[in-house]
Amino acid sequence: MLEQSVRAVMQKASTNRIEFLTENLDASHFSDQEHFRLFQDYLGKKYAGQKLDLIMAFPSGDYRLADELPDVLFPDVPVVFVAVNEMEVPEVISKHGVTGIVQRFDLRGTLGLIMRLQPDTRRVMVIGGTSEADRATLGRIEETAQSLEGIEFEFWTNRPITELTNAVKSLPEGTVILLSTVQRDVTGQRFFTSQLAQMLAPSASVPVYVLGGGAIGSGALGGVVVDPEDLGTRTGQIALRVLGGIRPEAVPIEVATKGTPMFDWRALRRWRIKESRLPANAVIRYRPETLWEQHRDLILISLAVFLGQAVTIGGLLAQRRQRRRAEAEILNQRVELAHVTRVSTMGQLASALAHELNQPLGAILRNAEAANILLQKEQPDLEEIRAILEDICKDDQRAGSVIDRMRSFLKHRSLEIKSLALSELLRETVALVETDARARHVKLSLQMPEKLQAVRGDRVQLQQVLLNLILNGMDAMADVADPERQLIVGVETAKDGNVQVSVSDCGTGIPLEKAKQIFEPFFTTKPNGLGMGLTISQAIIEAHGGKIWGESKDSRGAVFKFTLPANKK
Amino acid sequence: MNPASEAGTVFIVDDDASFLKSVARLLQATGYNVLTFDSANKFLHQLVPGMSGCVLADLQMPGMNGLELQEALAKSANPLPVVFLSAHGDIPTTVQAMRRGAEDFLTKLGPKEKLLDAVKRAFARGARERKERGQLEELRGRFDALTPRELEVLEHVMRGKPNKQIAGDLGINERTVKLHRTNLTRRLQVQSMAELTRLVEEAGLFKVGKAE
Repeated sequence: MLEQSVRAVMQKASTNRIEFLTENLDASHFSDQEHFRLFQDYLGKKYAGQKLDLIMAFPSGDYRLADELPDVLFPDVPVVFVAVNEMEVPEVISKHGVTGIVQRFDLRGTLGLIMRLQPDTRRVMVIGGTSEADRATLGRIEETAQSLEGIEFEFWTNRPITELTNAVKSLPEGTVILLSTVQRDVTGQRFFTSQLAQMLAPSASVPVYVLGGGAIGSGALGGVVVDPEDLGTRTGQIALRVLGGIRPEAVPIEVATKGTPMFDWRALRRWRIKESRLPANAVIRYRPETLWEQHRDLILISLAVFLGQAVTIGGLLAQRRQRRRAEAEILNQRVELAHVTRVSTMGQLASALAHELNQPLGAILRNAEAANILLQKEQPDLEEIRAILEDICKDDQRAGSVIDRMRSFLKHRSLEIKSLALSELLRETVALVETDARARHVKLSLQMPEKLQAVRGDRVQLQQVLLNLILNGMDAMADVADPERQLIVGVETAKDGNVQVSVSDCGTGIPLEKAKQIFEPFFTTKPNGLGMGLTISQAIIEAHGGKIWGESKDSRGAVFKFTLPANKK
Repeated sequence: MNPASEAGTVFIVDDDASFLKSVARLLQATGYNVLTFDSANKFLHQLVPGMSGCVLADLQMPGMNGLELQEALAKSANPLPVVFLSAHGDIPTTVQAMRRGAEDFLTKLGPKEKLLDAVKRAFARGARERKERGQLEELRGRFDALTPRELEVLEHVMRGKPNKQIAGDLGINERTVKLHRTNLTRRLQVQSMAELTRLVEEAGLFKVGKAE
């Protein structure tokens, strides 16, 4: 990564094409003298007669063994190195023709980070190596650790790494692992820090912090490290300056101490550390691409389609709700209108009802007065007084029942469909208009078969229809000579099993040309008529699943009929 | 305060059995003789000329209603005063009933004092009218005693004709006319022409015949 960054910055800045040749000493794995001798021979022969402009050294491992290679093989070629660990910086840096960058571990930063993310940390396990550079780093860690109070530092340097992989599995809470460099462990084995992190971190029971950026991505949580990209860029810039003709001695060796807090997203998740707790400049690596990043266009299109659908569905729902509301409103208005016409029907009956109510009330009053007089006598006739009181009670109930009848008819209510004895309803309705009929000199009769099927319907609404038809019939006979004023309410079972009710008068009949209009709203032949009676009646009967119609009789007058479905059980 | 001392009966006519009974109780308790009928027809059938008192009638009844009863009663031999009791009276009916001579028009829920007062007045009126009817009958009886010829002469006299013209009109002797006049004044027990004229008016004779 470091090398890639260097190349990128150099290629980008240079007008000439730069040819890069890479040789890998691999000093970390092969550190014996023979290896270096062979490598030196190989390079010497390979590049004999070649003109090199710059040697870039990326020291790693036991660089000391190779630090003389450039000097021996390419004495006059400038060298730019970049060392990620100051302990690896060779002695040669003081020589002429050499410059570069040394990254110093930001120990204070990393330890600060531990305290920041895991404030309850009591113990830091430092895993280090036995090489000279390893020990130098450990020394620095020890030095820095002294400034942190209340935290115990334990250095695991003299145990083979293989043993440590087991030991880290059961570390107690409040402990963290700080992975230093292990160029060589106690058994002489050599490791890259990233390799080491991979061996230890995944199975460790506590988070692993590292000092170098290269180890991030191998299971370690993170640390304040050198950003290889940033370091590479800066190295590339120095290389460009040297290539541009500036003598390396003139370019001071840069010591970079400031690191970047860098984390492995997966490890953050594993240790449940919220991103909000990280320093503001933290870099999080290995964050999986979000769905958004992977499928941006698809998501956008899907979202647009979804939104479109949602808007359409929302629109349809709103429309449906409006329609529902309108339907409810219509139903409500029909109930309301039925109530209004009932009130108006009752208004027509008001004087008859007042009469009916005044009869018992009058009787009660006279009885009470009579009793009062009887009581003032010397020897009151107690039997008579008792009889009077009984009569008063009877009349009181009679008055009450008149009011009940009226109220049940006028009550504001919604539809109540149930099984209904039609004969009872007919008798009751006829009783309601009887007084009125008498006052109008109308002979009112009810013709019913002995057995009549029950129907399904709303009592009050059906009574309303009956009342409407009866009152209409009586109105139609206003101009007819007294003896002929006959109104017959009949009921019979039709052939299809339905029940058919008829109200027949001897009035003026229905003129043919008006036969169709009579059920229309606001059609009326009466001076004070609302024109709603038959309209409402029709609505009620149709709501009950029946039909209503009117016709002129052959003889005289009109007959209105309606059917109701029989209550089939 | 016992009105029962006045001989007479309150005839109560109402189709509402309960109300009929209650009013009867009240009036009985007050001291009246009471007879109750649940229809106008039944009452009219049982009414005889000698009965006195008043009628207490409901207005709305099946069959013959109150106003029809009033009408029939007025034409009868015993036109008793009528007090109407209505559960719910309207103005046109009230006016009609009063014009036809009803003693009063009360609602069934009205105060008992009004009812008793109306019955009392009706009784008094009934008695007065009966007395008047008696006088008239006595008067008419006197005229009934005249011969047809004497009545003829009286009619002409009332038209202010002189004896001579009467004799000419009737084709009889003037002396005979004078004889008839003497006879009829004696039978009618009048002393003067003025007294005769008053008597004829009181008896209600010749009222229509004047234009002839």
